[in-house]
Amino acid sequence: MADQGGSQHGIARTSRVRSEEQKQRDLQRIQKYRELEDQVRSHVSRADYSPQLFQLTSKLLRLNPEYYTLWNVRRRCLISGLFSRPSAGSSCSTACSSTFPTATTTQSSTSCSSSSSATTPPAPGSPTAGRSGTTAEPGAAGAPSGTFASDDPAQAPAADSTDSATAAAAAAAAEQQDLATIQSELSFTIPLLLESPKCYWIWSYRQWILAQAIARLRPHVARQVWEAELGLASKMLGKDRRNFHAWGYRRHVVTQLESAALRGASMVEAEFEYTYRMIQTDLSNFSAWHSRSKLIPRLLDERGADDAARRAFLDKELNQIREALNVGPEDQSLWYYHQFLMLNLVDPDKHPAMTRGIAAGDRAAYLAREIDEIKELLEDYPDVKLIYEALFEYTLYLCQLEDRQPTADERADLAAWLAKLKELDPMRNGRWADLERECGL
Amino acid sequence: MSENFKQLPEELQLATSAHVKYIQSLDTRKDEYDYWLTEHLRLNGLYWGLTSLHLLGHPDALPRAETIDFVLSCQHESGGFGAAPGHDAHMLSTVSAVQILAMVDAFDELESRGKGKAQVGKYIASLQNRQTGTFAGDEWGEEDTRFLYGAFNALSLLGLLHLVDVDKAVNHIAACANFDGGYGVSPGAESHAGQIFTCVAALTIAGRQDLVDKERLGRWLSERQIAGGGLNGRPEKKEDVCYSWWVLSSLEMIGKTHWIDKDQLIAFILRCQDPERGGISDRPGDMVDVWHTVFGLAGLSLLRYPGLEPVDEVYCMPKSTTARVLGR
Ligand SMILES: [Zn+2]
Repeated sequence: MADQGGSQHGIARTSRVRSEEQKQRDLQRIQKYRELEDQVRSHVSRADYSPQLFQLTSKLLRLNPEYYTLWNVRRRCLISGLFSRPSAGSSCSTACSSTFPTATTTQSSTSCSSSSSATTPPAPGSPTAGRSGTTAEPGAAGAPSGTFASDDPAQAPAADSTDSATAAAAAAAAEQQDLATIQSELSFTIPLLLESPKCYWIWSYRQWILAQAIARLRPHVARQVWEAELGLASKMLGKDRRNFHAWGYRRHVVTQLESAALRGASMVEAEFEYTYRMIQTDLSNFSAWHSRSKLIPRLLDERGADDAARRAFLDKELNQIREALNVGPEDQSLWYYHQFLMLNLVDPDKHPAMTRGIAAGDRAAYLAREIDEIKELLEDYPDVKLIYEALFEYTLYLCQLEDRQPTADERADLAAWLAKLKELDPMRNGRWADLERECGL
Repeated sequence: MSENFKQLPEELQLATSAHVKYIQSLDTRKDEYDYWLTEHLRLNGLYWGLTSLHLLGHPDALPRAETIDFVLSCQHESGGFGAAPGHDAHMLSTVSAVQILAMVDAFDELESRGKGKAQVGKYIASLQNRQTGTFAGDEWGEEDTRFLYGAFNALSLLGLLHLVDVDKAVNHIAACANFDGGYGVSPGAESHAGQIFTCVAALTIAGRQDLVDKERLGRWLSERQIAGGGLNGRPEKKEDVCYSWWVLSSLEMIGKTHWIDKDQLIAFILRCQDPERGGISDRPGDMVDVWHTVFGLAGLSLLRYPGLEPVDEVYCMPKSTTARVLGR
């Protein structure tokens, strides 16, 4: 299992002995916390998903955002009252839940709710249909309760054309209400995320809220909500460039912004540019290099790149990483990306994007040139083990590409580099010994 | 472990009795605010604590009957388990429940007093996304290879793996593979030691290790060991006891544990323990917790530290338990 809340990371060990005063303070906090919790449980046991309960979850989640059940209670409060009506998206996910219980998989929500655009009048008889005129500020004083007056005019079955105008107005009001609710929820989680940027539950709740935007709002309205999310992803990555929650979130947001449900188009150029900016800020950001490796195939396809353009692209990437290696040959991130480029040369069946039009002989020439360039690095950096590792690996690649055994000169080089690896990196001696045996050195 | 290790100074010896006392004390700290703030991890915490005690050779240090009662009190009608009474059912706590019941050999009580194995299996199977093969953590839909592994772990212990589409799940893991040999949280995501453990362990349970690029992955994993002997979870990150376990267990699964310096890792983990008050932390000098305690001990066990019960690298449970339950 990957990292969990509740575990201590990076907190200095201190004496566990508390003063009497600290103990008293702890007891007061515990009492306050448990009182809130008791109130929540009392509402939940009565299935009373009211605005009062909703407000209690706000208070308690600010104290403890890891309390996943509270996020679920909050979702139930939204579904059973604060959102304008049971969404087609959520009813679908209930109906399909025996096989496919994913509310955040928005493809499923949207495919099941093709007729659920907010321009469709709310179903008559829906308990929350068409509350006109209520401003939905969840948690705000005077927010509507979960049950609504049955004499609400929007709930009357549409009998003639004047009623359809009423229904349209009600739908517009419902959308306004849902938009306000969604934005309020997004705002609620921001300070919590800034304080606990690695808390899975907050990220997951936020994604669920955004899925609600797709299910409940017209596409152009939902799109504005999602576009603002890219800003958040950038902000979080600005604070921690390697936060994999934030990178994953960014990928998710981009995928949705590109989707038909949000009337989207490809953002691959912009995202590729983003990785470039991140790398410019910090060459060691492997998350950005990784992202680049994943975007390249699509980028070239969408550019309609021919073989020559692909090869030119490879040249540019090679130049870039070589320049980076010249200043930071100790940086693993750079070498991993360099390996990725070399794999494109060695295994074009698996990684064809940049190299599909390059003949085997030319690919070998590319490799040989890289090996020469890397040898030159040794003049300035004779004690960097990653250089020897690369030379060793790429020489074997070259033999593989030319379908031959290493020459006598190459064997001498391999043995010398391996000796250097053992000297510089004894931690991995077991690996060097395996390599030595496999290569018969 | 090599001979010279036995000559380490006293402070680098494992403080077994302090660790046992530490774990026993965890449920008595009801006057501490943190005890209440971590209730959403109670069942997971019990699994971490109980596994630690089993590895330390003190499997009876927590009362068995109370343990079973508590686990069963967390079960919902759906078959799933919440982290504690009053908490919603979730994959993570359900897996912990199954692991605890396996360790104390109480599947029969699940049958007689709980909702039964079949209902647990049904709950877990209901969380599989039948289109992509991956698993959600609960009805609200967050998907992650952690949950896929959890499902395989618990279902295989229950003998109910046939309830899910194993091939689809395996294909999903294959789609999470990266050029560096590692795996991410979902297709497209960066390789990450925790996720590599979940993916390689799930493939091992499914009998599909043939899909793992062992050379490339072994190389990536072995590079996680940094000066000081600890292991990090991704390139250019700090070392951490919990990541050390995920990397080490993954190396063990693919037969490459000898690609790192075991003695240095042992010394690192031992430097992270609190020898007086017990428990292990993420890095030397930090606050201990039961999460890093179990992964530290599991690491030491895998490294053949003397006096510890052997750990199963796929399940992070005593080998004696998995041997009994899985009939190996
Ligand atoms: Zn950790």
